[in-house]
Amino acid sequence: MRIGILLAVVGLGIGTLIGLYIPVVIPQNYAKYMSIAALAALDSVFGGIRAAFEDKFDQDIFVTGFFSNALLAAGLTYIGDRLGIDLYLAAVVAFGVRLFQNLAIIRRHILKN
Amino acid sequence: MPQKTGMYASIMLVAAVLGLMLTMQFRVTNSATNGISIDRAQELNAELKHINEEKESLSKEISDLTFKLNQINQGQAEAKNALQSELNKVRMNAGLVTVSGPGIELVLDKPDTDTENSQIPPELMIIRDEDLLSAVNELWGAGAEAISINGERIIATTEIRLAGSFININLNRVIPPYQILAIGNPDILMDSLELPGGLKEYWRDLGIKVTVEKHDDLTLPAYGK
Repeated sequence: MRIGILLAVVGLGIGTLIGLYIPVVIPQNYAKYMSIAALAALDSVFGGIRAAFEDKFDQDIFVTGFFSNALLAAGLTYIGDRLGIDLYLAAVVAFGVRLFQNLAIIRRHILKN
Repeated sequence: MPQKTGMYASIMLVAAVLGLMLTMQFRVTNSATNGISIDRAQELNAELKHINEEKESLSKEISDLTFKLNQINQGQAEAKNALQSELNKVRMNAGLVTVSGPGIELVLDKPDTDTENSQIPPELMIIRDEDLLSAVNELWGAGAEAISINGERIIATTEIRLAGSFININLNRVIPPYQILAIGNPDILMDSLELPGGLKEYWRDLGIKVTVEKHDDLTLPAYGK
């Protein structure tokens, strides 16, 4: 568990460094999709942490959920843009609610321990 | 253990990707603050397009209106020229302008006083207004374009009448010798006067001095000059 957290932090650091020093900047038009993808990814990560606390952590579900959620959220947002619907709002609301739920559950687990 | 390593690897991968995403997003958001938002840019783009279209249509309108204006001006100038030439023609026909051209000069003069011993009674030797009238009439009939008597242009309202013992033309007194100028074909005018039994002969018989001359270039004054 501790190793997992440590690794996660290290991975986060690596990703952050790469992100900071990579010379590519996402064009403005795609920033919107990127933000939704990032939100979905965050939700997945917290979901994973919650699952780990509940001893239900499944690596496959975690990884696929992470990527598919991010991609789906971005794709939905894109389609919504094309159709003139603010679908990203739906993604924001859904993932936001889930995020807070997960955080709350994680908090309870930590308090119990 | 292999499963464990796989799990750790996946966690690390996910964490790294998450960090990457968040960082990139952060960078984009921060760099975007010093610019303008996408919505605003799109709005401005649409506005620019709209204004450009408007400008295009207005330019078209300008050229169209300019074309029309030019046409109108052209038409105006043409109409003005046409009216001007018409006016000139009418003024010429009315005898209000000085004209010149070929024609004849007819001079009627009282006989010399030393013809008292002739058979012709003196009252017949006086040139009467009818003589001038018939001369004018004859010349018009022969195709004269303009006639003047002693510098008085004959126009539509000209009168030739006896006033006391004088003849008035255009309300001005004229005295012998009467110099009648007529513009037209000199030969025809001459022939019309010199017909056998014509005016010239008649005047001769009365004892009036008649001379007729052709001229290549006569100048007749305008009416009222």
